[in-house]
Amino acid sequence: MTQFINRRTILKTGAGLGAGLVTGALGMPALAQEKQLTFAVWGGDSEVAGYRNVIAKFESANPGVKVKLDVMPFAQFYQQVDTRLAGRQAPDLFRVTYQQIGRYANNKAAIDLTQYLEKDFGKGFTPAVWSAVNVKGTPYALPHHTDTFALFYNEELLEKANIAVPSSLDEAWTWAAFIDNAKKLKTQGGSSYPFAMSWQNGAVHRWMFYLYQHGGRLLSEDLTASRITEKAGIETIAWTQSWFTEGLVPPSTSVKSAEKVQNLFANGTIAMMLNGNWQIPFVEQQMKAKWGVTYLPRDVAMADDLGGTCVAVSRDSKTPELAAEFVKFLVNEENMRSFVNTAQLLPVRTSIVDKGIEFSLRPNEMKVFVEQTKTIPEHLVSTVIHPNWGRFNPKMADELDLAFTSGQSAEQTAENIQAHIERLLLRA
Amino acid sequence: MNETATSRFSGWWASFRPRLTPYLFIAPNLVLFSVFIFFPLLYAAFISVHEWSLIDEPFYIGAENYTRLLTDYQFWQAMKNTVIYSVATVPTSLAIGLLLAVGLDRDLYARTFLRSIYFLPVVVSSVATAIIAAWLFNDHYGVINALLKLVGIQPVAWLSTTSWALPSIIITTLWTRVGFCMVVYLAALQSISPTYYEAASIDGATRLQQFRHVTWPLLRPTTFLLLILNVIHSFQVFDLIFVMTGGGPGFSTTMIVQYIYQSAFATSEMGYASAMGIVLFLLILLFTLLQWRVNMRTEEFV
Repeated sequence: MTQFINRRTILKTGAGLGAGLVTGALGMPALAQEKQLTFAVWGGDSEVAGYRNVIAKFESANPGVKVKLDVMPFAQFYQQVDTRLAGRQAPDLFRVTYQQIGRYANNKAAIDLTQYLEKDFGKGFTPAVWSAVNVKGTPYALPHHTDTFALFYNEELLEKANIAVPSSLDEAWTWAAFIDNAKKLKTQGGSSYPFAMSWQNGAVHRWMFYLYQHGGRLLSEDLTASRITEKAGIETIAWTQSWFTEGLVPPSTSVKSAEKVQNLFANGTIAMMLNGNWQIPFVEQQMKAKWGVTYLPRDVAMADDLGGTCVAVSRDSKTPELAAEFVKFLVNEENMRSFVNTAQLLPVRTSIVDKGIEFSLRPNEMKVFVEQTKTIPEHLVSTVIHPNWGRFNPKMADELDLAFTSGQSAEQTAENIQAHIERLLLRA
Repeated sequence: MNETATSRFSGWWASFRPRLTPYLFIAPNLVLFSVFIFFPLLYAAFISVHEWSLIDEPFYIGAENYTRLLTDYQFWQAMKNTVIYSVATVPTSLAIGLLLAVGLDRDLYARTFLRSIYFLPVVVSSVATAIIAAWLFNDHYGVINALLKLVGIQPVAWLSTTSWALPSIIITTLWTRVGFCMVVYLAALQSISPTYYEAASIDGATRLQQFRHVTWPLLRPTTFLLLILNVIHSFQVFDLIFVMTGGGPGFSTTMIVQYIYQSAFATSEMGYASAMGIVLFLLILLFTLLQWRVNMRTEEFV
C-alpha cells in the first residue's frame, strides 16, 4: 500500500482538489451578483445595431442585469435554436418569424406570456400581427416589426424604355401591364433580364400573395381543406411559370436556388426586383445607378406578403419574468420607433402606424412599403401561421421549383401541392 | 497481516499491468469513438422508429419511417444522384491522382512546389470551396462564363439548369479530391522497390508494360484504400450541394446526406432522417465488406 500513498501522491491530489475548488469559487460570485439573459437573433448590421441600442437602454435602466446578444446566420438559425431546445439549453429569448412561431407555441417551446401582460395589451398592435402571435387566444410571443414587398426599379433603364411607374396604390400596374412592361424592357436591352422575385432560401411562402391577387386561396375559409386545385390556383402557377418559360426572369432565381436577387439588381443584370424593405440599406450602398421603389403589380385584388419577426421567451429560461420584462421593453412604442428607423423595417403598433413615421433613409420609398402593409390579407396571415407550415413549406418549394425549372405542368403541380397540404399541413 | 495483503495486491498488479497498458493506449480514442460515433449511432437507430421534431417528445411509430422510404420519390432520386455522382468522381479522381503521382515521382524542377499546389485544395475548408465555386459558376457574373465568352463559346447556365448543375458539382469535387489521391499514390509509388523495375527492363518490358505488370498490381492495396475512402466521401457529400445549389434545380442535385439534413432540420422529421441515416450506414458497410472480399480473393503476391 505504501507505494501508492506517499508524499508525492498526496501533494498531487491536494493540488488538483485545490485548483478545482478555486475555479469553482471564482465562478460562484458572478452568478450570485449578475442576472444574465441571452437573446438569440439573426440580422444585418443595421438590425443588430438596433438590438444593441435597446439592450444598452435596458441595462442602464436595470443595473445588475446583462443581456447577451447572440447573433447567428439566418440559414442555420432555426436548427441552432431547435438543437439547443432539445438539449434543454435554449437561449432565454429568441427572434422568430410569424410563420414559425406556431410551431414553437404548439410544442410549448415558447412560453405563454399572458401572466406577464396587462389586460388588452394586444390592442396596441395591428390586428394581423397580433393574431399571428396568438394560438387559440393565448400570446406566445410579442410582435416586433413587420416587413413587406414592393417593386424596386432601375430608374435609368426604365427611362430608356419609356416606362412610367405608378405614383399611387390605385395606379398600380395590372398583371398584363406588368408583363408588357417587362417585355418592353427585354427588347430595349440594357439589362439581361427584366426582373426577378426574391423567394429563395426557404421564402417560398411569398408566392402566396400572387395567389391572393388572382382571387385564389391555398386553404378554405375555415382552413380545413385545400383549394389550390381550383382554377385560380392553377392559373397563378401557370402565370408565375411563364416568367421562366418566356425568359422574363433569370433561370437561376427559382425558389430552390441560392441566388441573391439583390446582387443581380445592384449590378444591373435585372431592371426590376420584387423584394422587401430590409434591402434598402444594401441597395443604397451597392447600387451605382439611380433607383426607386413603386407598388406591386395587382390583379383582381392587391395583396402582399406578411414578413417580420416577433420575440419569444423559451421554456428553458431560468428567469422568465425578467425575460418577459425585456421583451415588453423591446416592443414599447419608443423603442420600436427607433428600432424600425435604424433597421429600415416597418412598425406594428397602431399608434406609430397612425401617427406616421419619418424614416431617415429613403423616406419616400419606405412610404410605399408602409402603404403596401395595409394590403396584406388576413386570411393569408392565418394560413402561413399554421403550426405545421414549417413542414409543408419545403415541399411546396419542391413542387413550384419543378414547375419553374423542369416543365412540370401547372395542373400536376397543383395536384402535388394538394397532396402535401393533406399529408403535412392539415393533419393534426 | 498487512504485508501479506500488500504483497498479494502488488503481485496481482504486477501481472495485470502489462495487460492493462494496451487498453490505456487505446482508451482516449475508444472513449471519443464511443461518445461521438458509436452511441449516437445506436441512438439514431432508436430514433428511427420514432417521430420527433426536436422540440417535442419522441413518439413511437414502429417501422413506418422505413416503409415510407420505399415509396418516397425524392429518396430514390437522391440515391440515384449519389450513385451517379460517385461513379463520376471516384474513378476519375483516382485516375487523375495516379497520373499526377506518376508524373511527379521523378526528379522534376520545383517538384515540391508542384506537389504542394496540387494538394492545397484538399486542406481548404469545403464550405469556402463551395462558396467560391458558386461564384465561379454563377450564370451572370461568374468567372468561368466570362472566360468562355472570351474564347467565343456561349455562356453556360451552370447552376440553374438540370443538365449542368450536377457536372458543376462534379468538377468542383474533382478539384478538391485529386490532390489527396495523388499524395497517397506518391507514397505508395516510392515504396515500390526499384529492383522490380530493373528486373522488368532486363526482361525487355517497355515503360507501359512495366506500369501494367509491376506498378499497378503493387498499388492494389493503395487503390483499394483510396476506393473505399473516396466512395465513403462521395456518399457523404453535403456542403458543396447545400451551398451551391440547395439540391436544385428540380431534384437534379439532391443527394442523400443533403436530403437527410433537409428532413431533419427543414421539415423537422428527425425520425425519418435517422431512418435514412441508418440505411446509408448499412449501404456503406455493405460496400466496404464486398470490396474487402473482392480484394482478398484477387490478391497476387509478386
